[in-house]
Amino acid sequence: MTVRRLIILMLMMMLGQASRAWSQDAEASSEYLIKAGYIYNFAKLVEWPTTAFAQSDSPIVIGIVGTDPFGPIIDKVLEGKKVNGHPFVIKRLKPTADLKECHILFIGSSMESHIGDAIRLTRGTPVLTISEIPGFADHGGIIHLSLEQNKVRFEVNVDAAKEADLNISSRLLVLAKVIQQPSDGRKTE
Amino acid sequence: MSSTNPQHVGSIRQALAIVLVAVLFVSSSFGAPQQPTNIPDVTTMSMEDLMNMQVTSVSKRSQKLADAAGAVFVITQDDIRRSGATNIPEALRMVPGIQVARIDENKWAIASRGFNGRFDNKLLVLIDGRSVYTPLFSGVYWNVQDVMLEDVDRIEVIRGPGATLWGANAVDGVINIITKPARSTQSAVVTAGGGTEERGATNVRYGGKIGEDTYYRAYGKYFNFGPSVYPNTELAANDNWDALRGGFRADWSPSGPDSLTLQGDVHRSKFGETLTIPSLTAPFTDTFPNQGSFSGGNILGRWNHAFAASTMSLQMYYDHTKLIDDSLFTDRQNIFDIDFQQSFHPGSNHEVVWGLGYRAINDNNDSSFTVAIQPNRLTLNQFSAFAQDEISFADRRLRLTLGSKLEHNEFTGFEFEPNARLLWNLTKTQSVWTAVSRAVRTPAITEEGLQLNSAVIPPGGPGNPTPLPAIAAILGNHQFKAEDLLAYELGYRMQVSSNFSADVATFYNQYSNLRTAEPGAPVIQGSPIPTDVLVPFVAANNMGGGTYGGEVFGDWRVLPKWRLLGSYSYLQMSLRKDSNSLDPLPDNPAGSSPHNQVYLRSSLDLGRRFEHDFIVRHVGSLPGLNIPSYNSLDMHMSWKAASGIELSIGSQNLLNDRHLEFIPDFINTAPTEVKRTVYGQITWRVD
Repeated sequence: MTVRRLIILMLMMMLGQASRAWSQDAEASSEYLIKAGYIYNFAKLVEWPTTAFAQSDSPIVIGIVGTDPFGPIIDKVLEGKKVNGHPFVIKRLKPTADLKECHILFIGSSMESHIGDAIRLTRGTPVLTISEIPGFADHGGIIHLSLEQNKVRFEVNVDAAKEADLNISSRLLVLAKVIQQPSDGRKTE
Repeated sequence: MSSTNPQHVGSIRQALAIVLVAVLFVSSSFGAPQQPTNIPDVTTMSMEDLMNMQVTSVSKRSQKLADAAGAVFVITQDDIRRSGATNIPEALRMVPGIQVARIDENKWAIASRGFNGRFDNKLLVLIDGRSVYTPLFSGVYWNVQDVMLEDVDRIEVIRGPGATLWGANAVDGVINIITKPARSTQSAVVTAGGGTEERGATNVRYGGKIGEDTYYRAYGKYFNFGPSVYPNTELAANDNWDALRGGFRADWSPSGPDSLTLQGDVHRSKFGETLTIPSLTAPFTDTFPNQGSFSGGNILGRWNHAFAASTMSLQMYYDHTKLIDDSLFTDRQNIFDIDFQQSFHPGSNHEVVWGLGYRAINDNNDSSFTVAIQPNRLTLNQFSAFAQDEISFADRRLRLTLGSKLEHNEFTGFEFEPNARLLWNLTKTQSVWTAVSRAVRTPAITEEGLQLNSAVIPPGGPGNPTPLPAIAAILGNHQFKAEDLLAYELGYRMQVSSNFSADVATFYNQYSNLRTAEPGAPVIQGSPIPTDVLVPFVAANNMGGGTYGGEVFGDWRVLPKWRLLGSYSYLQMSLRKDSNSLDPLPDNPAGSSPHNQVYLRSSLDLGRRFEHDFIVRHVGSLPGLNIPSYNSLDMHMSWKAASGIELSIGSQNLLNDRHLEFIPDFINTAPTEVKRTVYGQITWRVD
């Protein structure tokens, strides 16, 4: 009896260790960890108009609307981090919330059918919209994240960024696929 | 119940202690990665570093899956390419719970969760929103359904009923083939390939842009399959197949709320088969090489409109299919379909979808001695309406979906197809779902007006004491009712870690009014001189019963460049004819679907240029058809030789020279064996 219990205990321990090893490995290479890193870099390489911040140490508000694919990862990645003196605040928003309240708005894939609304609601305000929804940048969104050959790639709609009064660093643009497509559909001169 | 025996109390206490210790271990280990020390600090990495990191999560699939209260499986473009499949039926072999059996080089029997047959009538297939089942037998001509595989975005397969959204025929499953938007196919692609079975194939696609807002693509493809062999012989079969197909898609998406899609295809294919048909003169049966052709086309337009918290779409299509089977049947079918759909949020916790649909079917056929349909020309009108509400509770962790479809068809009148689904996100990585749904399979044209002469029994032969030949004929019946399903499903998904996910789906299906063929009174035909006796077997609804089973699927990214996927599917069918049924056929159509199916897939990247994939499958025996189980090993390798050029080679059935997978039902065509094959392809891409 005791031997059997011991074996069971050992099995449980092994199971625990195995799952721990697994989870660590997993966290280390997760897609959304990388994407959280992208978002941090975007915050660094995008310049907001000064009016977007009440004070020089006001937080950069990151809103996540729709399905949140990050889970706690993004909170951990950005915890205690600052960009130009601005700390980060992450808010999970309902689709009915005021989306203009953020500096960065991540639009989850569940919003696919309402993508036009989200873009319209933030149009003309300094909100850096980011989404994985296919065609996002073509529809007037600013940054579209995608996976190509298991690597994260991104498109930047420079016209939409200009409309939002966001200045995107050329260091970012050289790495991006650049799209010119103003959100009102008119051609740029 | 309770015991005061101190010994029992002691052992219970010990057991509790063990459980407690175990829980501690497990929770501590799951808790461990929560500590930030385990996460590399991505904020110290440059954009360039991040762009070079390999993503190893199963991402899209699990993300979508996690939100579905149903047994959903997605075949991605990558899966198709890496499997080496060159047509849709072969690609479906990787879906858990789906039975795929090749009958000959140009015919398949494909079903979801049982009832497999060439004319399986419980599976709905859509290509870009266009239903491709034929109302003739409520099934799918698999050799007509094709797309440029390079342009497929994904194939979504739902096992179990989808009738509330998709309507009649979405009884045991829905297969949704979705091509990429034209914007994502903006390069020129040319492929050329050839092998031992598929002798030659070429695909050409070009994508471009008109103005600022319109993307388009056009494609053309051709393939030619050589003959297979008859079972247990070295004789080349007469099952050649070749097809020519072309099409286009244009998407106009200005940045306003509206977008338009227009797409269409034309196709022409020729097939061979060895047909056995009955005859009224000795030897009363005739076997010969037969030829046939399919041709047709379709055009589809879709308008999408997205405005404040609501979207609308209006879709219309026209589809023409013409079958000329030299010795059996000619059929021309025109289908016009219009669908309207709207979704909106009446409150933050509700998401409502509703829609209306109309379909007109026009069928025009010429009969032969073997197959005849009355009337030869008919037009059917179908109307449908559906509404569904997804209600979220408890911070969206609990989602209840309630909805129903109501449709009207000319054979059985109104049909009502409700469902209730509940998804519970236990944690961020685990969810449980359950569903109860009703689906119906409305009568096909053949079940109303068919006469299929399946055999002629010689005069004086066994079972025919008369001096005249006796025709055993399957007849349609205007009283034929819809087949009914009440399905109970339960599923569980777990993202064990970002590189391992598992999915379990189980079902219990309760069928009633399933089709039987009831013998009727023999009729002497011919006047004034009698020529033959007709022994009718009339379509009726005298069978019912249950099927149950489940599918397990696991996806494990062992290393960033090595992924293993495995699946096990179990199916048990116990159907019984009603006591008043005189249908002489064996009791159970269960014998045509395997109890067990297992596969293991490996996807390995070797460096940046090589990909290596294999799949090992076991498919259980088909006792009803006397077909033994088989194991197969398929392998596929590809090499990016230079920028834009990819070479690939695939081999199927490496474990044995050949095996038989199915014996067709109703129309007696000779099955042929699936041989070991090799296929090579060169793909050239110009951006």
